[in-house]
Amino acid sequence: MPLPVRSRPKERILYAEGFPEAAIRRRARAGAADAFPSPDDYGQVLFGADPDCPAAADDLLDRLRLVPPVFVPQRLAQLVELAREPMYRDVRLETTIGGFRSALPLYVSAFGSTEAASVALGLAAGRQAGRLGIPMVIGENVMPVNSYGRLEADAERSLLGRIRAYQAEALDGYGGIVVQQSTEDADAEVWNLVYSDPNVLPLLESGRLAFELKVGQGAKPGLGGMTLVGAEAAERLADAYLLDPVLGGDRVLRSSSPGTFTEEILRQQIRLMRNNYPRAKVWVKLPPARDVSTAAQVAWAAGADAVSVDGAEAGTGWAPRAFLRHVGLPLGECLLRIGHDRAPSDPSCLLASGRMWEGARVAKCLALGANAAGLGRAALLAVDTDPDHGLVNLVECLALELQFLVSALGKYHVQALDPEDLWSPTPASSWATGIGSGPA
Amino acid sequence: MTETRIPETEARLPASPREHLTSPVTRSVLRIQHRMLTAARELLGARGFIELLPPVIGPVTDPGARGAKQVDVDYYGHRYKLMTSAILYKQAALTSFDKIFFIAPNIRLEPLETASTSRHLAEFHQIDIEIADASRDDAMAIAEDLVRHVVQQVVAELPHEFEALGRDTSGFAELIGTPFGRRTHADAVADLRATGHDQNPDAELDWVGEAKLSAKASRPFFVTDYPKGSRGFYDREDKDRPGMLRNFDLIAAEGYGELCSGSEREQDYATIISRMRETAENPAKYAWYLQMLKDGVPPSAGFGLGLERFTRYVAGLDSVWQASAFPKVPGIASP
Repeated sequence: MPLPVRSRPKERILYAEGFPEAAIRRRARAGAADAFPSPDDYGQVLFGADPDCPAAADDLLDRLRLVPPVFVPQRLAQLVELAREPMYRDVRLETTIGGFRSALPLYVSAFGSTEAASVALGLAAGRQAGRLGIPMVIGENVMPVNSYGRLEADAERSLLGRIRAYQAEALDGYGGIVVQQSTEDADAEVWNLVYSDPNVLPLLESGRLAFELKVGQGAKPGLGGMTLVGAEAAERLADAYLLDPVLGGDRVLRSSSPGTFTEEILRQQIRLMRNNYPRAKVWVKLPPARDVSTAAQVAWAAGADAVSVDGAEAGTGWAPRAFLRHVGLPLGECLLRIGHDRAPSDPSCLLASGRMWEGARVAKCLALGANAAGLGRAALLAVDTDPDHGLVNLVECLALELQFLVSALGKYHVQALDPEDLWSPTPASSWATGIGSGPA
Repeated sequence: MTETRIPETEARLPASPREHLTSPVTRSVLRIQHRMLTAARELLGARGFIELLPPVIGPVTDPGARGAKQVDVDYYGHRYKLMTSAILYKQAALTSFDKIFFIAPNIRLEPLETASTSRHLAEFHQIDIEIADASRDDAMAIAEDLVRHVVQQVVAELPHEFEALGRDTSGFAELIGTPFGRRTHADAVADLRATGHDQNPDAELDWVGEAKLSAKASRPFFVTDYPKGSRGFYDREDKDRPGMLRNFDLIAAEGYGELCSGSEREQDYATIISRMRETAENPAKYAWYLQMLKDGVPPSAGFGLGLERFTRYVAGLDSVWQASAFPKVPGIASP
């Protein structure tokens, strides 16, 4: 008996005004692959928070204003020191970041191995960061995915290649290299290898090597690192990572685990780092989690030289749409929470990253308690624009803006910024930190 | 190949394997070491220990090695490791016998700062002991008896070798005749800090600090109760004093430093998983060991006594490489 002929799906007969109809229809066609941005964009698009989503449009840091005072006692002090009226170029930008002397309150944050952060861009960023005298973080996965580079022929692609690129142009006495390791990287012993490598000895001897424990990241807090890899690479990585064919085609989603942390696990991991690598600094990278302040306190108490916080708006890597739009605290809120729990003159180092590229946002973060800001996507775009000078140019402009802003606030060192320099139109966020608020 | 730069080291390394192997000093040292091994086997055999041959490679090895890199081996496409120590296998072996030991070769690509400590080799051997249903005190008692017996035997039997090396063995009278001292890690830290040495209270005694304490001693002594965060996941945490481990080091006298590390072992599956995370390990790669724990291994205590370090102390050598026929000093490419 012949089967009845099935009728064609009757699309576009229903309408649903005020409902995300197109998105639902896209998902009905694509299935689980629609949890992600289009894989066609992978390698060209730097992800991070969706700028169209309501939370990003109402960003706390964007809403805050820097507000100069009329009375400027610190300018008077500077006037006395200089015996002339101070100008914006008198603002000192040099500072200490996580145990390193840095020419500016900036560092290049980790790009990871995501394809957009290609080898060439990573090397270019490294060279220019070295020249600028600012620290650079080398992301997890660079070694497991691109190798270490000591014995391999393609040393340029490797972790060691990136370290060399930085060292070759490093400003004497400034900056440093920070090597990240995640839970899966432990299998490859990234830190042990770097720490025992003769090539890295100059950095160790000049106190310019740090290891960053990656507890989480901005774009997808609660998840581990994600990249798309081809079938061949997937086979090689199958032992260590979750490989998910969810996107179809010949691309496979490679996921790290987020790693399991309790207060005790974090505390002991940091102590073990200090025990095993006494000549390296210890950095800890936190996700924009709801307990970010507690985690920062645990990390500092255990001896971390720096805690970096990646806001939900941060990230260069691949992430599910739901995370880009709906998950994690914005950086401003992270800084407020940490500032609330921190003693006013706490000397521990706090670093912030998430949509940093110009002076005002950096100045606001410094005023909220950060010691420096990390350039991620901005650094990649800058070296993509000009591999020889792009990052240097971007940073020179940012540095000038910082000098303008800090001097306008009547201060002459970036570390002198504090919450009194900020004004918030909404009082809700002001009680904790001494930020001015109320009618303009 | 990349260029390798090695720090200046005080050790005067031999120019060639021939120069080292034919030197009268090396010959005396290796004769003493040979007799030390025989004496160790005598004592352990008499105490009911079974000697097993140690594994050389495995999917995982001891991660508690203070920043040293493990050596990867491509084992039919799987990443295997040369043993940094056979601790995990020692625990497993207790399902076969109650008292076991290995004379085990270990490989650790140590950080380069260890090239100038005079007591690190990238390739070395341990007299590696594990005892089922034993406490830390039991393990320390065996370690003390073992060191005493070995020293007694070689001093009595090889006076000419010691004479040739210029080693005055009368200094061992106290080691032979008096029980070894004991102090806690916290006490050792306080002692060092009181002398202006900036010892991290949460970490292992650093190389300089350890040598200072060792130099003040006239016979070996134990340091107990190291803090969590300074050791591997298998050292048992004291349930009455959280953060404190039921472990010990044995430190030689005369500045020769650490000879031996040991502990009561953790063997509870869930506790080990948490401890692995605290030591930044990925439990996934320890599958065989975790299955072993799930199915049950006896509670135990044990230690590893560094053979070349012990030889250096007994023979009174400047550097530990002199106690190896084929020395590998960290960072230095040698045969």
